[in-house]
Amino acid sequence: MKYLKLLPAMMLLAMLSACLTEGEVEEAEVYKTPYAERMKMIEQEFLAAEKEGKIITGDIVEGNSLFNGTTEPQNKTYGEPYTKEEFRAAAISAERNSKLFILSKDGTLYYPTCPKGQSVSESEQALRIHRVFTEKQKTSGEKLFTWATLVPMTGREIEICGDIYPGYAEVKGLHIRSVRFEGDYIIGQD
Amino acid sequence: MAKQKIVSIKSLFYTSVSLVWIFALAAIAHIIMVLIEKHNPVIKYEYAWSCAIIGFLTIYMTRWLKRDGWQSFWGILGGLGLWFAWEYSLMYGGHRTGVTYTFNGSYPEYRLMKWSVMAFIMVFTYLIYQESVRCNFIYFLRRKLRLMRGVVATGKIDNYGPRTAFEYIMITWAGYLLLMIAYDDQIFGPYSWFCYALFFVSFSVFFYLVYKLIGYDKFGANLRYSIPTVTILWNDVEILAKWGMLKEPWVHINWKIMSVIIGGFVISTYLIVKDLRRKKEGMIESKDVV
Repeated sequence: MKYLKLLPAMMLLAMLSACLTEGEVEEAEVYKTPYAERMKMIEQEFLAAEKEGKIITGDIVEGNSLFNGTTEPQNKTYGEPYTKEEFRAAAISAERNSKLFILSKDGTLYYPTCPKGQSVSESEQALRIHRVFTEKQKTSGEKLFTWATLVPMTGREIEICGDIYPGYAEVKGLHIRSVRFEGDYIIGQD
Repeated sequence: MAKQKIVSIKSLFYTSVSLVWIFALAAIAHIIMVLIEKHNPVIKYEYAWSCAIIGFLTIYMTRWLKRDGWQSFWGILGGLGLWFAWEYSLMYGGHRTGVTYTFNGSYPEYRLMKWSVMAFIMVFTYLIYQESVRCNFIYFLRRKLRLMRGVVATGKIDNYGPRTAFEYIMITWAGYLLLMIAYDDQIFGPYSWFCYALFFVSFSVFFYLVYKLIGYDKFGANLRYSIPTVTILWNDVEILAKWGMLKEPWVHINWKIMSVIIGGFVISTYLIVKDLRRKKEGMIESKDVV
């Protein structure tokens, strides 16, 4: 009976657990589909969007230095938005959560957002995004990350399948569903 | 004349089984986290709370265990449970506050953990003055820094369970702090002199610790001493992965390699449990190791 003294502590832990994990329940439905099936659906969605010409291709650029004019990725060669020094500064700012944008080849600027209608949101830069592989990557047999986040992709070209929103002042909104890119997620590292 | 170290087949057996068990435990712990994230990340915080509760109860349960082998065995598992919970709590904190991955790929939870370095130093400061602590590294520091006013603590330890759990947590914490400080491009970076030094020092210290470890021939002492030994080796595994020279099988889910590791874990668990059950009769006094 003396061990019943532990009961309040355990109940407290269980209650805390329930409170803290409440927000996750909304996503539970998605994960009822097995992983392989989910990935296949994402790939099919990406390939269908590609056929329809709806894939956004662009460089990932860092917002603070772009908007205060410290860097000008828009005036650089597409695919090489930064010099070596600029890249380092942009990457450090990005990992400090300055906002990242996608600068497409035609000069349109996209702001990554959560899907339309989502009321409480979080930093899009902290989220893992599903990755679709090219045929070459699939046949190479190389073990590559099956997901990516935006910060390590700073300055790199990326293909995005997602929903585009009108946005504001010519900056469009983009909810990223999946991405495709050359090389590994972290270049030269595991 | 150097003192000759007696190495028996028995001590080699205990050492190798303990090393395999601790290494495999760490690898399996990693792949569990990766699998949860891949297949059903929704359950991760429930899992974390379960680990915290089970870890706490496991450590509590060690008070009824009479032998240091069992106490150490369950202490490690209890410590791992609490460690899991801490990692997930940082993951949750990172999620809530929008902490991103670094551009060289470090995860948000470890970025947060890096800044617990002062908390670690505060705990460690207490430990180096805490006279009942039997850690060899702390003994070394006490000797060299002349911190002890009297003789070092000796005598029987009644329960190694909480000690072992705490040892597991502190050593794992120290390992992560070192790695995260080494990887930080704004402090050192993965290709800095510090990271190379950490790699080579860890490699050397691993062999030194194995040399010390083969002096023990009981699962209690061997398991406890295997924690720092494996953690030091783990630094090298992590750094090699960071340098792109190794694809960690628990990150990229390489089932061929993981099957061997899981097999090693099952066999070593069987051998440890069998040995501890065989020696059920009476309390066996062990040397003070940690």
